[in-house]
Order: sequence, then C-alpha cells, then structure tokens
Amino acid sequence: MNDCNQEAMLSIRGITKAFNTNKVLKGIDLDLQKGEVLGLIGGNGAGKSTLMKIVMGIYQPDDGIICIEGNQVRLNKPSVALAQGVYLVPQEPMLFPNMSVEENITMGFRENIKDLRKRLLSLIKQLEWDIDINRKAESLSIAEQQLVELLRGLMRNSRILILDEPTSSLTFNEVQSLFKIVGELKKKDISIIYITHRLTEVFEIASRVAIMRDGIITLQGPVEDFNREMLVKGLLPDQAEDKQNIRCKTKPIDYSTTDPVLVVDNLCGHGFSEVSLKVFPGEILGLAGVVGAGRTELATSIFGRDVICSGKVMLNGEDITSMSTRKVMDKGLSYVTEDRFLYGIFKTSDVSANITASNLKNMGRIFLNFKEERKITDHFVDAFSMKVTSRKQEMGSLSGGNQQKVVIARALATKPKLLILDEPTRGIDAAARGDVYTIIQALKAQGLAILLISSDMEEIVELSDRAISLFCGKVNKIFSKEEISQDNLIAATFGVIKGEVANA
Amino acid sequence: MHKKHSIPRETTSVIFLILLFVGVGLINASFLTVDNIILSLNSSVIYTVVAIGIAFVIITGEIDVSVGATLGMTAAVCGSMVRDGNVGMGIFWALLLGLFIGLINGFGIAILRIPSIIMTLGTNGIVRGLIYVYTDGKWIENIPLKFKALSQVRLFGSFTWFYFLTLLAVVLMHLFMTKSQVGRYFKAVGDNPNGANLLGIPVSGTKIIAFMLSGLFAAIGGIMYVSRVGFITPIAGIGYEMKVIAACVLGGISLTGGVGSLMGATIGAAIMASISRVLVFLGFPSDYDNTITGILLIVIVVFDAVFQANLAEKMRRQRLAAKIVHTQSVALEEAPDHE
Amino acid sequence: MNKHELFKEKVLKWESSLVLLLLVEVLVFGLINPKFLIPRVLFGSINNFMTICIVSIFVTFVLITGGIDIQAGSIVGLTSIFIGVLWNDVGVNLYIACIFGLLLGVLCGALSGFFVAYTGVQPMVVTLGGSFLYSGLALIITNFSSTEAYKGISGFPQEFTQFVKGKIFGVIPNQLVIFIILVIFTYFLLHRTIYGREVFLCGVNKNAAEYSGVKTKMVIMSTYALSGLGAALAGILLTAYLGTAKTDLGKEITLPVITAVVLGGTSNLGGTGGVIGTALAALVIGILRFGLSMAGVNTQYLDIPVGVLLVISVAIRFAGSNPNIQKNLQKFKRRFSRKRKQIV
Repeated sequence: MNDCNQEAMLSIRGITKAFNTNKVLKGIDLDLQKGEVLGLIGGNGAGKSTLMKIVMGIYQPDDGIICIEGNQVRLNKPSVALAQGVYLVPQEPMLFPNMSVEENITMGFRENIKDLRKRLLSLIKQLEWDIDINRKAESLSIAEQQLVELLRGLMRNSRILILDEPTSSLTFNEVQSLFKIVGELKKKDISIIYITHRLTEVFEIASRVAIMRDGIITLQGPVEDFNREMLVKGLLPDQAEDKQNIRCKTKPIDYSTTDPVLVVDNLCGHGFSEVSLKVFPGEILGLAGVVGAGRTELATSIFGRDVICSGKVMLNGEDITSMSTRKVMDKGLSYVTEDRFLYGIFKTSDVSANITASNLKNMGRIFLNFKEERKITDHFVDAFSMKVTSRKQEMGSLSGGNQQKVVIARALATKPKLLILDEPTRGIDAAARGDVYTIIQALKAQGLAILLISSDMEEIVELSDRAISLFCGKVNKIFSKEEISQDNLIAATFGVIKGEVANA
Repeated sequence: MHKKHSIPRETTSVIFLILLFVGVGLINASFLTVDNIILSLNSSVIYTVVAIGIAFVIITGEIDVSVGATLGMTAAVCGSMVRDGNVGMGIFWALLLGLFIGLINGFGIAILRIPSIIMTLGTNGIVRGLIYVYTDGKWIENIPLKFKALSQVRLFGSFTWFYFLTLLAVVLMHLFMTKSQVGRYFKAVGDNPNGANLLGIPVSGTKIIAFMLSGLFAAIGGIMYVSRVGFITPIAGIGYEMKVIAACVLGGISLTGGVGSLMGATIGAAIMASISRVLVFLGFPSDYDNTITGILLIVIVVFDAVFQANLAEKMRRQRLAAKIVHTQSVALEEAPDHE
Repeated sequence: MNKHELFKEKVLKWESSLVLLLLVEVLVFGLINPKFLIPRVLFGSINNFMTICIVSIFVTFVLITGGIDIQAGSIVGLTSIFIGVLWNDVGVNLYIACIFGLLLGVLCGALSGFFVAYTGVQPMVVTLGGSFLYSGLALIITNFSSTEAYKGISGFPQEFTQFVKGKIFGVIPNQLVIFIILVIFTYFLLHRTIYGREVFLCGVNKNAAEYSGVKTKMVIMSTYALSGLGAALAGILLTAYLGTAKTDLGKEITLPVITAVVLGGTSNLGGTGGVIGTALAALVIGILRFGLSMAGVNTQYLDIPVGVLLVISVAIRFAGSNPNIQKNLQKFKRRFSRKRKQIV
C-alpha cells in the first residue's frame, strides 16, 4: 500500500469495499489537490457513490487509508467527516421537508442562531442568489433544494466539497449559475470532487479528471490531456473488441414477415418523453442508458406501476396502455424488476412461494394446489439449474445469482409473450451470469420477445439484436445489429452521438 | 403552484377550538362565559402536562403508550409519601421514577431496536401491574388538605397556578425545541432520520432523551393528579395515553414525526378537555365523548396522510420531469431492416 | 419425504418450544397447587381467556401484513351490546342478531382497513381512533336500551348460553372445541389458501407483491375486516358465556392479544408467523395467568409477567437478527472461551 500524497488536500490509497460477496471498490487511488475541481466520471455500478459515502463517513472501508492535508484520518462517522471539513452534497437532496430553509442549513451547528443567520444572509448575498430563507423546504423545487444542500456545505467552511451529480435536475440557466459558484469556490481554495455523467461539464469546469470503472480508477490526469473520445475509451473495459463470433451464432431475424409483439408509440410518462420502439418475436432489443435516463421508469410505466401521460402501448395489436399490473401480466407482458432486493424477492418466503407469486390464480380456485406449485418449482429449478437445497429453502439464503434465476422464473411462470428484463445480471457472479445468458438465449430461440435493460454494455453487445439508447428521458439513437458496439453505446448514453454533440 | 408559507397546523387547531366554543355558545349562551372557558382550560391541565412529554416522543417519530401507567405509578408513589408527611421525597421519587421508566423505554427502542409500540405496550403492562404491587390493590387516601389545596390556588383571576405553571413550562419547552440548537434535534430526527445522521446528529441519543422527557412529564402529571384528584386508585391514569396521543394529533402533531409543536399539543389538550364539557352543555350524555374523539382522530389522520402522500407524489414527479432534457428526439425508422 | 424440510424445521423449533413452555407451566403450577391439575379445573380455566385466544388468532392476519390492530377490544364490547339491544329491545331473533353482529364487526374492521390500505395512514393511529369510536358507539347503543349500561342485558335463552358453557364428557368445555375449530379454520385460511398466500406476500414485501400482480390494497383491507370478524365472534361467545351483554367486554385485551401474536412467532414487521404459534402462545399466556392466580398471586398483578414476556420475546428476536448485536455476541463468546482456556 502506498503512502498518502502529502501535498494533496485529499488522498485516497488502496480503498476496498465489498458488500457480502460483491466487491464494489477494488483498490482506489485518488488525489484531490487544493483549490481544484476534480471531475469524477463513471458508469453505473462503478462504485462512485460508495466511495463518496466512505469519504463522508457513512460507510467504512474494508482496507485502505484516507489522508486529509497529509494526515491520516479515520472517518467512522459522518460527524467526524464533517469536523474534518468534508461535505457531501447528495444527488437527491436530504433536506428536512417540514423545516424552513434557514433551519435546514443551520441544523447541526453549535453557534448562536443569530450569528448563523447573519453569516448565511451574507453568504447568500455574496453568491447573488435569490432565496427566501423562511420558506419550508418541502415547497422548494429540486434545483432550490440542491442549492440549499450546497449552502450547508459552504456554511460549514468545508475544505472538501463533494458534488454528486449536481446538475442532474437543473435547467440550463441554473447550471450556469452553479458553474459561476464553483468558480468562486475554486478561488477560495476549496477543493471539489464533481461527479457527473455529462462530459461537457467536465471540460467546462474541471481542472483534473478521473474515470472510475468497475471499482478502480482507470484514468487520472489534467483535463487538457484528454478529449471526449479518450474519456469514453476510459469507460470501456479492456479487450473491448466486439465479440462478433458470439453474436453471429444466433439466427438473423427476418423483420419483414413478422409483426412486432410490443409497439410503444410516442409514449410520455414520468421520467421519459416521446419514446417509440418496437420489439419483435424472437428478438432481444437492448435498452441502454445511464442511471436516471428513464429506462426503468419507462418499463414500470408500461407495466402499470405509474401513470402514462400520453402515447400508446400495444401488445400483439391490443392496446394495453395504462392497464393495471395484473391485467398487463394476464395479457402476456412480464417484467423482472431492476432492484431484486427491494422489489423482487420475498426474502423470508421459500423458493416455491417466490416462483409462483405472480401466477397464483393458476394455482387453484380457493385452496392452493401445492402439487401444482411443486411441479412448477421443480420445472424451473431444473431448467435453470438453480442451486437450492430444497423447494422450501428460504429465499434470503440463496446466492444473488440463484435469486435472480428465481425472479426470472416467476416472470416466466405466467407464460408471457414479451419479457422486460431490467438489469438481469446486476450483482451476480460470473457463473450465474453465464447461466442467465443461456436462459435468455433459450427464451429467444423459443420466440419470446425480450426487452433487455442493462447498464452493462458488454451484455447488450453480446445479447442484443438491436439496441436503443435513452438519454435524459428520450431516445437518442437506435442501433442496428452492425452498429452495436460498446464504444457507440457508451458514447450515446453519455449524450455523445458520433458526428454530433447532444445537448448535455 | 403550492403555497410557500403554508398555514401552520397550530392555527387550524386554534381556529377549531375557537369555533367549537363559539358554536356551542350560539346554541347555549351560558357556555360562553369567561369563567367557563377558564374552567375548561383548567380542567385540561393534566392532559396538557402529559401531552408535552409525549409530544417530544411523537415528534421524533416514535410512540409511547405507557404514559398513563407512568402517571398512575408516580401518582401512587407521590401520594403515599405525601400522605405520610413527606412532600419533598414524594415529588423527588415521582420525578426520578418517571425518568427511569422513560430511560428503560428509550433503551429498548433506540438500542435494542424494539418497535416503540411494542416496547411501550410492554412497559405499560408491567408498570400497571407494579401499581397493584405497590398499593396492594388499595386506594391511597387522606392526602393532607394543604397539598390538595395547591391545585386550587388561583392566579390572575380564575386560572389555577397549576395551569399557569403548565403554560410556563409549555412556553419554555417550546422555545427550547424551536430556538435552541439541541432542541431542534428532535424535529430533525423525526423529519428525516437519515438526513439527521448525515449531519452528525445523534439519533439514538435524541430518542432516548425524548422518552425520558415523556416519562418526566408523565410524573409531573402524576404529582398534579395527587393534588387535583385527592386520592389515587390503582387504575389512575388508565386511558390517558390514548387521550394525550389524540390531543397531540388534534393539535397538529403528525405521528410520522417532524411535524408539530408543543403549542399545538397544548391546544389539542384543550380541545380534548373541552369536548366533554361541550357535550354536557349541549345536552349530550358524556357517552358521546369517545365517539366524537374517535371520529375527529380518524378524520384528521386520514386527511394528513392523504395530504402527505399527494405532496410526496408531486415531488417525485417534479424530480423525474427535471431529468428529461427537451431536445429533439430521434425519429423512429419505419422498418428496422436495412441492407 | 423431503416435503417441508427446512421450513418446518424453523417453524417447528419455535412452536415446539411453546409447547414445551406450556408443559413446563402445567407442571410447575401443578406442583405449587395440585388442584391445578384436575382436568375439570385445567380445561375449565380456558373459558376465562377464550376471548383473548379467539381475537388473537384473527389479529394474526393483520400483523402478518405488517400492520397492527388495537381496536379489536372495542369491537368485542360493541358487538356484545349490539346483539343485546337488537334482541332485547328491538325484538330481533337472537341468532339473526348474532349474524348482524358479525357483519358489524366486519364493517368496523373494514373501515379502518380501508384507511390503512388506500390512504396510507399508520395502522396504529387509525385503529386508535377506531377504538375510541367503537367503544363510544357501544355506549351510545346502550342508550337505546331500557336497561342501564352498568347492568348489562341479561336473560338470554338457555340454549344460547348452554351452547357455550357446556362441556363434552363433562370435562372439555365447548369453548375449547369452538376454539379448536376456529384455529383449524384460520389455519387453513392463512396457510392453505391462495388468499392466505397473498396475505403473506403482502407482508414479506409489499412492493414485490404489487409487481407480482397481487391486489395488495384489497388484501390488506381484508385482514382488518377479518380481525373485526374475529372480535365480533369473540364478543358473541363471551356474551353467551357470561349471559350478559355489556359495553365494556373486551376492554383490556389489547396487550395480551398483541403479546400472544408476537410471542407466537409473528414478527410485527410482517411476513413471518402463523396461526398455530399464536394459538399456542395465547394458551401459554392464559395458563400463565391462571396458574399464577391459583398459586395465590393477586389477579391485578398478572399483567406484569405478560408485559415482561412481550418485551423479552421481541428483544430476543430483534437481538437475534441485529448484526451489531450478533457481532458483539461473537466477541463475547470468543473472549469467554479464551478465558476458559486460560483457566484450564
């Protein structure tokens, strides 16, 4: 393990962190100089927010050291990190909704309230903001809430400010205003880690940039040394040569003779707008995009979990727009949720209960037909090679990979015509991943239409027949089979269309 | 567009209280005398005191259904000692006992992570039983007249000095909770415990203090009970917890935490006490007491929940809408096959 | 037969320890006071806590979905006075009145359940309001009766009361039989029907249940309706047993009922639990109270052990699942075993 960089404001060496068997951070080395803005870029699941939570004292690292101004520190509680001058402005503001702006900002201080108010008002004046400190936090817009969070950090005279996707909910003008503030902060010698998906922002205000992928820092250096393509390359895994051979194994789909199973026509909803796509039987349509691009919102809205504002969804010619979840499932559309822990598994129930959960109406009229349940469970345990000790094993004790297989089995138990898979291989080991791919390929061969949502570009490249990229809620590129490559996909999801510059 | 400064919930409660009195006064004018109003407020003094304590707990997002038992127990202890001539000890032990019960509750809830409803339900049962052990099932009577007279002392006209003292306590604790740095921790913990943790606020410690305050004020209520009522039965204080929880809710304190103030609790207690008197004056038997309280409680709580849910949904939609960048979206090609 | 392997293992562990506890109780109390062991006495004691037993097996449904019901006690009294007044003052046939009573219980439960499921109020609060409301309604209904409230309505026909008070073979009370039938009914409802499976799913993970197409709102509301039904049933039986319809029947049963459900293995977070456990725990608590009173303990003190039981059983479960505490326990164990090694 290296020693800290004595000159740096914040120096991180060898930080590792794993949650159960999932290794999120695999040895992070990062430096932040005084008065600089470090742009931190990374795809989904790269580990950015875990790293920042460690710096903020919310998580403890398994290994590694952190130094602030050359001194090693142990950040085991948020209050310790705060005392050290670190402040994290979270992506989703964590304000107290029922308190005023002033109360939110001055919460946790020891000083006299009158003095604090004076300081706050002069700070606001300095930044030339127009905000009424007596307003209740719940009435603020998201942009205003983020500003309040920023004020919290500034009031604490933090030396190290971490901004986690600060512009994700801001308008163009608000973003410019933010950049001005960041410039002011730089002058005051405050060091800033600026996490973002938007590459243009990095070029505009960062002095150095670091790219994080898969738990390590792949690139680090002054911003002048890089251009957009180089950054995108840093996001790609090694040996990103297209695995042409694997894709060619599958039969090419003849689109001219079949009707699409799913037609989404100009669909607008909460989190996405004007989305149109088609999925054909026996086809896998990959849906790529960064977190917050609107992919899951699109899927859950189609699945009846959220309101659709306008547009249509047709399944095999039948209009299923705005139908309830149960009806949508009965019509033949199944959805495997993105977060299996929160929305997918019934942790304390057994495997068979988990598999039959969405298919209960076929398990008998009043009394549960346990025999039928056993039959279905055995069928899937066998077909998916699930490693379970018995049908009655508790779901929570299964490995991530097996849990995922169960959740997929549940979606298939209703014999759907279209299956939406949302991050099907997130957080599972390589062997299980291979099994899941086999399952997906088999389903495709049987003629099932599949919409594959994934942040793993490799996965989309390997499995998809066609692909779509969603950026800020809208479709910004449709890829034919030949055009699918990790390079193109990543670029598009970050708003970079080859040959044009999207408004990032 | 939503209001920037929403009407404080306490205002709604006060308006309700005023309307209540005025409305009844219209039907039966003899209700609207100053004396009567003061009488109503005076009779709410014990509820108010206990409500102050439990308000701390509710504002941090928890619940305490053992305050009635604590009141009964401390009343029994204080009463027995006062009867035997030891006023100072009686008050001392009552307060200590209240703090202790609160500490036990706080420990179970904050450290052992037992849900507050279950923990306090348990301590409620235990303390209720302990009252019988302590009193041997007998009533505690023969409280010295001088002690009983304390509750009758009047200040500023007809206000009992108990009530005056209580108001003073309310004002002081209210200022503590709203103006002092540490006092604001309670609201923060109830409003957003994760956010509070992020800012370095000691969430567990705050909750334990809240429960200890709840026990302390229940003890103060117990002491007042001895003076006002004059004798203590083993079932003293039964049902008080539900009444003071209802009082808090009526006064604008939300059971989800983070919302409301002690002023509101006071107003709520006044409403609760007034309802019985109102019913008597309107010619209803006091039997309607519970029914009206129940309906009020349900109506308020349901409205609150619906309002909060709508607000949360609005925020969620706003968040999602902000993520959509309004650029030209890619036109859909007609058929995906090329070459 | 590999059928219910691991699952039963886990469940049986808790429930068999309850059965063990029951046997220990009977033994201990029997030693203290041999009269305790007389079959007539032992079985007869069940009559005294039958209300708690019946209400708790139905309230189990509510707790499995992660909710709580503190209004059941009020519904017991409400139903009692309702059928009393209907029969005595309105002149309705007693058995028809009972059916109306059951309906009333269902409605009362469903009202609170509706608010919990469809508006997202906390169950604790809405059932608190319900407890006020329904006990208040009971008082109002008394006013429609010619009899004074404190007296209660009596004079029920013999076959009504005998049905409940009677004994099979002169030893086993009818109420015990009724209880066993109810336990079997609720067992099947909760553990063997599709509805019961949906109740569990809603409790384990409401979101996942929604994503599986389960109509969670209906299911959750129905559990409260069931709870109300159970309370109404218990009210009718208690009325018949006592021969009197009174408004305050069931007043103090909330604590023992919740204790029985939690002690029986149902987590108040929802998802785990069962009717059998609740039934056994209710018996444990009932026998505990009865045994203590037979051993000379004043009846009024009996809430103490119940309260202690509640807190301890929850603390054990929470301590068991809390990772911090487990870590500390491991540290403790290691240090302890190291010390032993040193001594040896």
